[in-house]
Amino acid sequence: MERAAPQPPSRVDLLAYGRAVLRAALIPAAAIVVALSIGAVIIAISGANPLVAYGALFEGGLGSGRALSRTLEKATPLIFGGLAVALAFKCGLFNIGAQGQLLLGAIFAGYIGFAIQGLPAVVHISLALLIGALMGALWAAIAGALKAFTGAHEVITTIMLNFVAFNLTDWLADGPWKDRSPGNIVARTPTIAPEARLPDIAGVPLGIILAVLAALAVWWLIWRTTIGFELRTVGQNASAARYAGISVRRMTLLALILSGFLAGIGGAVETLGVVGRFQPGFNAGLGFNAITIALLARTNPIAVIPASLLIGVMQAGASRMQFNSGAASEIIDVIQALILFFVAADSMIRWVLRVRAEEGERVTLSSGWGS
Amino acid sequence: MKKPLYATILLIVAALIAACGQAGQGGGAAAPTTAPVAAPTTAPQATEADCARPEVLCVGLVTDVGEIDDKSFNQSAWEGVKRAERELGAIVNYVETKDAKDYAANIGLFTEKGYDVIVTVGFALTEATTAAAGENPNVKFIGVDQFQAEAVPNVAGLIFAEDKAGFLAGVLAAEMSKSNKIAAVLGTNLVPPVVAFKEGYENGARYAKPDIQIISTYHPGGLDTAFTDPKWGGDQAKLAIDQGADVIFGAGGKTGNGALIETAANQGVFCIGVDTDQWETVPEAHPCLISSAMKLITPGVFDLIQKAKDGAFPSGNYVGEVGLAPFHDFDSQVPQEVKARLAEVDKGLRDGSIPTGYNPGG
Repeated sequence: MERAAPQPPSRVDLLAYGRAVLRAALIPAAAIVVALSIGAVIIAISGANPLVAYGALFEGGLGSGRALSRTLEKATPLIFGGLAVALAFKCGLFNIGAQGQLLLGAIFAGYIGFAIQGLPAVVHISLALLIGALMGALWAAIAGALKAFTGAHEVITTIMLNFVAFNLTDWLADGPWKDRSPGNIVARTPTIAPEARLPDIAGVPLGIILAVLAALAVWWLIWRTTIGFELRTVGQNASAARYAGISVRRMTLLALILSGFLAGIGGAVETLGVVGRFQPGFNAGLGFNAITIALLARTNPIAVIPASLLIGVMQAGASRMQFNSGAASEIIDVIQALILFFVAADSMIRWVLRVRAEEGERVTLSSGWGS
Repeated sequence: MKKPLYATILLIVAALIAACGQAGQGGGAAAPTTAPVAAPTTAPQATEADCARPEVLCVGLVTDVGEIDDKSFNQSAWEGVKRAERELGAIVNYVETKDAKDYAANIGLFTEKGYDVIVTVGFALTEATTAAAGENPNVKFIGVDQFQAEAVPNVAGLIFAEDKAGFLAGVLAAEMSKSNKIAAVLGTNLVPPVVAFKEGYENGARYAKPDIQIISTYHPGGLDTAFTDPKWGGDQAKLAIDQGADVIFGAGGKTGNGALIETAANQGVFCIGVDTDQWETVPEAHPCLISSAMKLITPGVFDLIQKAKDGAFPSGNYVGEVGLAPFHDFDSQVPQEVKARLAEVDKGLRDGSIPTGYNPGG
């Protein structure tokens, strides 16, 4: 089914490649336009001016250097989370647990960040990122093992593990790892050491650079390695994969571990690059937005980047939109949900655009129950 | 076939946006833009664009993660700001925070426009407020629920003795209970004011009736769900009522409201609200709501804005008033001696002769 997915230009005619990319982008782009139009109607009904609102939204997301850096800041964890969810989809797994894996990554990176002092920045940052990523991987591995060895559906187990992660991190932040400095009364860890803070490389935050590299790495893994081939084969037809001698168990476990690893780095980057400590509530919703991203990108790792930037712009600009126009900032959630809806229910958009689905353009997401 | 279709869609979208643009004119929070013929220097005709002028008082408010019309905290603070709009002729606007990482950016929306007073709502904004105060020494910041460990010259932390409000609610609950069993449905213990309400409530109840039984439950979720889970709140209220409790104290945003609304469906059970007079904010609870343990945020915010305007802005902690809301329809059902008792306890709490027993540090 994935045959017709865009191949790199070295392999095929550039023009055809461009056309394939455009075709692939058509449905998400149309979904965005339709969602923004419906959003405009809702803004108007709520008594605000949609033009003013959208103007402010994009000004707040793109209008200045500061706005741009906030957009990048918002997009970074979404890229990692989106890659995590997309990678699991490639293996036919729906990882709803990115949020929990991300939280584990965020708090453990924070712990390494504040508990160790005096390391050189390179070592400290690498260690904190690695531990965060491994904790995310470990958290996802629980769901992976349950799926591989008992058949427990990952949708259920990852959702349940989210709740465990919420409470575990809340407890750590309010208990053993709580910031005990005088005056602090809330649940949060101490701030990380200055050496553990992610620096800017030539004015660009290291986090977004890592995120883009991660997207390239995931693309390479999925399309250029044996493991990637096996993952995709399991995702498309587990029975056929088993018949071909691929260990479905191993791939299921591996896919979730890699997925959790990515989500874990996302959380770690958030702690080390943006928040500067772990505090409950500061990472709310990231792992769930990641599902939107993965679907908007139609599980294509490279497309995760523009999808995250788009949602990042909207999130960075939401406050200014409400400030300038009076339109409730929840409108952004509505638009995001509509985009997701139209991407997921793409036959509706296809009908509107009179575009038929070609065999190769279908995206296989999660496999069914009991598979 | 395709191209005309795209064009059609584009046209429809453009037409929609244009139509909406006209329909939406003058809506929302935008200030009137029509300038008077001879612009006087007085505030009434001024707009947000004039905020940089010293004689124009501009007051902005940044909410904690949550909505401006949360019928609680953010809304009470916003009403204080609205009062400043009416009585002091201030230009006002607000920003709703959607993501806790945006506190600083949201405060920045006001400072860049030259606002004079910025109200930030909730303890979580303490650091962002202190930082912004350092960068903008001429702007006065009012931090609702922000305890000031060290005084910053242009920041006033508006704090409340929640334990005292809870204590009064506890006395009322114990006095009104016939089953000698009362309950509290609470937001998370991750938030100290919620703990203060609970401890005050329990100690107040025991102060009134030493042998009273109290069922208190904290929401088990994290900060992102603890105050927005009315279903859970309702379930806990139901459980407590099934166990014989006949007064329910709901303290925790929408979670607590869920408990109030659930209680309202039960005959002969009373409920007590929190933070604001919830008679006004949760009409569904009228069948049971005898009172609310109030933090008088609205007058506190207004007083501080007034002081900022008069050049008498205090720094450090500014303790606002707490108290019980009116009994409303239940006024006749609350016996005179209970009212007298409450007045006496209120006096004792104020002069310190009755300790609430809540002692966070110790």
